[in-house]
Amino acid sequence: MCANCGFPAAPGHWTEAGAATAPDRLRARFRRAQVLQAILPGYGLTAHDDGIIPGITVATRTGNHVMVADLTEFWAAAERIGGKVIDPLDPRFACADAGDENGSR
Amino acid sequence: MRLTVLGGFLGAGKTTWLRHQLHHGLTEGTLVVVNEAAQVPVDNVLLSRSPHLAVLAGGCACCEGRDAFISLLRDVCDVRVASDDRAERIDRIVLETSGLADPGAIVDAIKSDPVLIHHIVVSEIVVSVDALHGLDQLKREPLGRRQVEIADRLVVTKVDAAEEETLRPLLGTLKALNPGAVISGAAMGSGMSLPDFAHETAVPLPELPGDAAAPIKATSIDIDETIDWAAFSVWLSALLYARGDDIMRVKGVVRTPAGRLLLQSVRHVVQSPEILPDGGEKVDGKDNSIVIIGRGFDPKSLLPSLRYFADRPSCPRPPCR
Repeated sequence: MCANCGFPAAPGHWTEAGAATAPDRLRARFRRAQVLQAILPGYGLTAHDDGIIPGITVATRTGNHVMVADLTEFWAAAERIGGKVIDPLDPRFACADAGDENGSR
Repeated sequence: MRLTVLGGFLGAGKTTWLRHQLHHGLTEGTLVVVNEAAQVPVDNVLLSRSPHLAVLAGGCACCEGRDAFISLLRDVCDVRVASDDRAERIDRIVLETSGLADPGAIVDAIKSDPVLIHHIVVSEIVVSVDALHGLDQLKREPLGRRQVEIADRLVVTKVDAAEEETLRPLLGTLKALNPGAVISGAAMGSGMSLPDFAHETAVPLPELPGDAAAPIKATSIDIDETIDWAAFSVWLSALLYARGDDIMRVKGVVRTPAGRLLLQSVRHVVQSPEILPDGGEKVDGKDNSIVIIGRGFDPKSLLPSLRYFADRPSCPRPPCR
């Protein structure tokens, strides 16, 4: 834990366990951001991770944004600022060949 | 330290089962924590064989006794860290819950504590079920159902006292309530064989207040090479956030760049994954596969949804607006 900012408060989040080396960790962060960026537009949200500052930012198109430490916090923040729970079992995610999800909300 | 949570309804035979395990070598390096909802504890007398025994009386570890429970475990962690004597070191904790405790809430309490999360891994939830009264409890008590739904292992106790006609419907119902759990029998703590219940149908249980009516199903998902860990973890974290009340357990072994990870969750809470050696433990004899146990969703929708999360970023995306 960093003595200045207190981050992270707990040992690594379970979603970060899949990468053991620094290059793998960085690659996993960018890939995670890529997956989120593909999923979120249908909910009017965007995700950003610059790979330097710990955490992920979730933002609305109107500029409301929150920085969170891990994916569990991310989904809670996305629900709070987006006004809707992002449910992977939503029919919009039922088919990998589905068309543009923008505007389907 | 590995924590085994031993749950079960009031009078389900938890202490008898645990006492038998203690007689059969569960003593070394094991701390037994007994939680009783009543002010005057009794079970500690029965479990006196254990050299390390702690009693929490007058409150259930999942609700009123939660602070005392957390404080006790923190003390255990402190002693363990300060101790140089490896022979005396505690490597395992067995928590016998009160009959009124929800094991899921106890796991949640441990995982949300900033100290305990560094020291304790929940290895197994064992729930005992009374062969004689278990079915009746499942019909009447929402808590009894929650305890069964969340178990990794169900021990049907007092098997010797129950007729086969009583036992079969109970076993069929337990299998329907928690298809992912291993079910075994016991009498006075020793293992007993159970009648074959593979084709036994479940007894219809009445809908209880605050209880979902849909049956629990276990779905196995094979994760192929096209699904990477980042996409999988984004998907599973979203799924548990959105559906954590309906998804009782997730268990599985997933291949990642860091190695084979053993993944386990209890409702919303995912334990820190353990890295397994190559060629070791598998789930259902499979590698890179997870089992999702829950209700209220179509099991067939899980894999397409996971594929969507994994494949979507490679699809052509509409231009930004």
